[in-house]
Amino acid sequence: MDILYMLIPLSVVLVFAVIGIFAWALHGGQFDDLEREGERILGADETAAFPPSGKVDSDQGRQ
Amino acid sequence: MVNNSLTAAKNGPVYDDGVVRAFSLAAVLWGVVGMLVGVIIAAQLTWPELNLGISFLSYGRLRPLHTNAVIFAFGGCALFASSYYVVQRTSQVALFAGKLAWFTFWGWQLVIVAAAVSLPLGFTQGKEYAELEWPIDLLIAVVWVSYAIVFFGTIGVRKVRHIYVANWFFGAFILTIALLHIVNSAAIPVSLTKSYSAYAGVQDAMVQWWYGHNAVGFFLTAGFLGMMYYFIPKQAERPVYSYRLSIVHFWALIFTYMWAGPHHLHYTALPDWTQSVGMLFSLVLLAPSWGGMINGIMTLSGAWHKLRDDPILKFLIVSLSFYGMSTFEGPMMSIKTVNALSHYTDWTVGHVHSGALGWVGLVSMGTLYYLIPRMFGRKQMYSVRAIELHFWIATIGIVLYIAAMWIAGVMQGLMWRAINPDGTLVYSFVESVKATFPFYVIRLLGGVLYLSGMLIMAWNVIKTATSGKYEPVPIPAVAAHA
Amino acid sequence: MAVAPSMTSSVASAASANDLRALDDPLNQSAFTTWTQGKGGEREATSQFRLSGLYCAACAGLIETALQGVDGVLEARVHSATSLALVRWDPRRTRASALVEAVQRAGYGAVPDAAASARTLREAEQRKALWRMFVAGFCMMQVMMYATPAYVAAPGDITPDMQRLLQWASWVLSLPVMLFSAGPFFSGAWRSLRQRRLGMDVPVALGIAVTFIASSGATFDPGGHFGHEVYFDSLTMFVFFLLGGRYLELRARHRVALALEAGTARLPDSVQRVRDDGSTDVVAVARLAAGDRVRVPAGQAFPADGVLLEGRTLADEALLTGESAPVPKQDGDEVVAGSLNLRSPVLMQVLRLGEDTRQAGIVALMRSALTQRPRLVQQAERLAGPFLWTVLALAAGAAAVWSIVDPSRAVWVAVSVLIVTCPCALSLAAPSALLAATGALARRGVLLQRIEALEGLAGVDTVVFDKTGTLTRDQLELVQVRALREGDDAQALLSSAAALASLSSHPASRALVQAAAATPSAAGWSEVEEHPGQGLQARAADGIVWRLGRQSWVASPASTGDTDDEALWFGQAGRVLAAFELHEQLRDDAQATIERLGREGLHVALLSGDAPGRAQALARRLGITDVRGGATPADKLAAVAAWQAEGRRVAMVGDGLNDAPVLARSDVSIAFAHGSAVARSGADVVLLGERLADVAIARVQAKRTLRVIRQNLTWAAVYNAACVPLALMGWLPPWAAGIGMASSSLLVVLNALRVSRIEADEG
Repeated sequence: MDILYMLIPLSVVLVFAVIGIFAWALHGGQFDDLEREGERILGADETAAFPPSGKVDSDQGRQ
Repeated sequence: MVNNSLTAAKNGPVYDDGVVRAFSLAAVLWGVVGMLVGVIIAAQLTWPELNLGISFLSYGRLRPLHTNAVIFAFGGCALFASSYYVVQRTSQVALFAGKLAWFTFWGWQLVIVAAAVSLPLGFTQGKEYAELEWPIDLLIAVVWVSYAIVFFGTIGVRKVRHIYVANWFFGAFILTIALLHIVNSAAIPVSLTKSYSAYAGVQDAMVQWWYGHNAVGFFLTAGFLGMMYYFIPKQAERPVYSYRLSIVHFWALIFTYMWAGPHHLHYTALPDWTQSVGMLFSLVLLAPSWGGMINGIMTLSGAWHKLRDDPILKFLIVSLSFYGMSTFEGPMMSIKTVNALSHYTDWTVGHVHSGALGWVGLVSMGTLYYLIPRMFGRKQMYSVRAIELHFWIATIGIVLYIAAMWIAGVMQGLMWRAINPDGTLVYSFVESVKATFPFYVIRLLGGVLYLSGMLIMAWNVIKTATSGKYEPVPIPAVAAHA
Repeated sequence: MAVAPSMTSSVASAASANDLRALDDPLNQSAFTTWTQGKGGEREATSQFRLSGLYCAACAGLIETALQGVDGVLEARVHSATSLALVRWDPRRTRASALVEAVQRAGYGAVPDAAASARTLREAEQRKALWRMFVAGFCMMQVMMYATPAYVAAPGDITPDMQRLLQWASWVLSLPVMLFSAGPFFSGAWRSLRQRRLGMDVPVALGIAVTFIASSGATFDPGGHFGHEVYFDSLTMFVFFLLGGRYLELRARHRVALALEAGTARLPDSVQRVRDDGSTDVVAVARLAAGDRVRVPAGQAFPADGVLLEGRTLADEALLTGESAPVPKQDGDEVVAGSLNLRSPVLMQVLRLGEDTRQAGIVALMRSALTQRPRLVQQAERLAGPFLWTVLALAAGAAAVWSIVDPSRAVWVAVSVLIVTCPCALSLAAPSALLAATGALARRGVLLQRIEALEGLAGVDTVVFDKTGTLTRDQLELVQVRALREGDDAQALLSSAAALASLSSHPASRALVQAAAATPSAAGWSEVEEHPGQGLQARAADGIVWRLGRQSWVASPASTGDTDDEALWFGQAGRVLAAFELHEQLRDDAQATIERLGREGLHVALLSGDAPGRAQALARRLGITDVRGGATPADKLAAVAAWQAEGRRVAMVGDGLNDAPVLARSDVSIAFAHGSAVARSGADVVLLGERLADVAIARVQAKRTLRVIRQNLTWAAVYNAACVPLALMGWLPPWAAGIGMASSSLLVVLNALRVSRIEADEG
């Protein structure tokens, strides 16, 4: 099963990549206030967005 | 500080829906084409003379055309359309590199047309769901990298900090397909229309099914789960049942999918322990899959009555039931003892089609019925009753199809393994073929029904397109300060 | 018009303009605001507020919109799950008070989130813990995948080089777990070893380290003396489950802290300071200095110990004396910090502030009386040391013995012993139950300021109640009107009396006003005189002088009256015309609670500084036989000491500052949140919900918790006694030891979670 010499190291690299992505998500606040995010796409949260300088947690208008 | 008006300004930024519209219409077109080819080859299996002696109509050449058309042309265009739509709406920005997005559209259509030409001509790499020869593989890689740039670029310039869960599924789907495609399609070309796989023998088999199963897992599952997590809440006008669960569902799926591949290779030359590992992790996959299904269906909790009147919701919710069924059936079939009966029989075909027709097909249709009116400035399709009719015809077609295949498959498996006391086979192979005939007829009928539904959809889409006019949708802008 | 005093700790307290302006004082702001440099170099402020009134998903959005509508607000984010708002604003264009006003205009409440820094720390702690757990869990799953072939394959199925590949991959994936996820165990072990103690982390760290080293040895040198078995899957699983247990514990701890913070958040205090030129400015209390002159309006608390310069008023010194009878003050009289100005605005000069006030002095005395340490934790710690030494000795011994019997298993047997005997069940048993119980109580509005008080509460056999404000509400209630002259209309007399009473802020007067059918008009009354201790006198429009107050004073202008009256008398010119009987309003659940406590076998007593007659009357109403009235703080202390000398364990329920030393002396102290701040801060249990019934409920919860703790400790003992011999005999491979230890800890935590729901009240 020589092909495993490629597939297994590839998987290990993938694992580290996934850990890295999860780290980015966690520390970027992606998992804050989750239930509200589920509602956001329905446009129930009528708040103003902000000037392009900042990313915000707000949404505006119906989609 | 820039102060834009809250109301839609005609010259304000708008969403980039042109390419979404193009992909949506293409999806419907290729759906009809792919299903038509499917009906043709089903007919050929029933009455083999139907290839009429013409080489490019032979079953062996049309089958990959069918699989590629329904998965990559129909499914692919639906995924492009919905991912481009969802990423814009949830990020509150227009597509990043809009022109590149158009390139992905035309590039993908070129891939499809090239497939439609090369496959019947017999040019094939012989690897399932990866039959296209190396020039087309290269084009796919270029288009896919462009797709990744557009999608992740849009996320990068988003105005909403949180990345909605559907985008995680889309993102995972895009990245893994890129990886799978590049690794599996590695080949050494010898001419413009011929190449040899970089891998050989059982090694190639392992890579092929590592690709194959993950293609199912990420193209046909993760991608469409992204669709589901956006369009079910939007159509039902209710948030996902548990948003937290959807995040957990995503990460759980990512963890476990990679190792399920060997279950396609039970009792082959693959080492026993590899097969066992594949079986084990296919069973583990059951949990996260069902978590997602429950999450999607329960979104309607407290609003089940909407299912009565809304055929689009019927498509979306019923698709989840088939998803649940397939993700239960699959792990069962990956158990070695079960697989010993089912491998190479039509049960496998039944399993594939319950997932393809039931999950992928229905969720795509529901999504397209949501998207297409909006692509033409309308709230609803031209005929809602036609949607309802489509739903019922399609569902009946699916049931006929998979029931026929289950019975045929089990029957085949039993017939093949039946041995006389002296060790000889009870049945000759051709006897099992003959016994399968009526089920092929029923399956053909199911497929015809499913195709008819698709034709109704095509009619409905044409009527909708010609009776509406797209109005650019403004992106919500900055609120005016008092 | 006097305002009824109320000291509430609820978050959405009505804010006057003065309160809001205090938000703009930089001294106050530093608690909830940080300052940064904006993009263009200008100063930016980022403030955190705690919101109230959010009941739906759209509320967060509405508040954000309201905030963003304020000119100068750069960014506003509302976190709906925790009801917190983060606002970035430009100090040149707006003020912090404007932000709160905007939220209030939208219909919600906002107070500064002074606990912001504590909360940020907690959030960081939680995030880090979650992160460690994720890495451990993810790597664990991958390592298990690579380990599975070894389990499912028959010997010889997997080629040696394939085995090596799988082991290498497992080793690589175990590195993040060892170097990162398991970090807290190693640092904890190191810390305790440096202090020459054997902490809980030591055997854990040792077990992990040995497993990793031996497995690494087997990976890189399969023929060596570590054998060829690897246990990376056990290792990662072990770390993951341990982290899981600690994460649950952390969440529980944070939930309690969150409830405590929510219960005590309020607006900062501010006062009107009078400058030399006569103008006033509003400043934070913290800014006052001795010698400052401060204007104190009616209804506000005196901000510091001081002396009245101008004005005559009545002060509510309930926080000192526990009684609500107002004390008259005039210029030259001293006033106490925290007491309330009931009647009219006055000017005072500050004498002593903060640490120097009489209040602070009492607090200090009380704090020194508090020297309790949790017995349960002490016991656990005393046991832990010997236990851990035993574990290490057993592991070493096992290794030694096995190295003679079968050297290839020596290491693994030692590892199993270390892992299976992890005293986490022991160390989790009490804390997890205590945390679950306090969290449940906190949700109900019962705050345990010292977690260990649960233990005391469970063992209490005597409950002592204060009277006023504890068993009774602050207010008096009119229960009967008697016209003493034939033919007089009682209701008409009540109306006149109420009209007169509206000029006074005495609790008795307020009761009359409340009982009157319509809002009485004070028009027509002139020459109003308040005679402290006697009553109110005024001339009506028809010229007749009426009196409202003590019977003897109303009946005869000359007498001084007695002190044992429960009624208010109304009359003119020496003739008593009406009697208004007033009762102290009992709390709704007082009766039921006393009865329940009696049924549960507790001795209930009443200790009050109020007149013995009144105390007796109330005790009769409630069915309490052990009554002591007229008790000074020293008397109360002596009474509690006497009970304790009898071997009783006393719980004291009170609210006044005078109760404070007694509360400290009792075995368990329970205070109402409305009570003086001092009594609250020293009390073991604070009742936010203003329900007496919570006393009984808290006690039942405490008993349940102790029961659960005992169950957990028993289980830990049984488990260890059973598993250690198994491990020593070599019948427990490391993976089984890991599962056993993890399941045992999980069982303990789950059992503890049973007390995270308050049981429905009985009867």
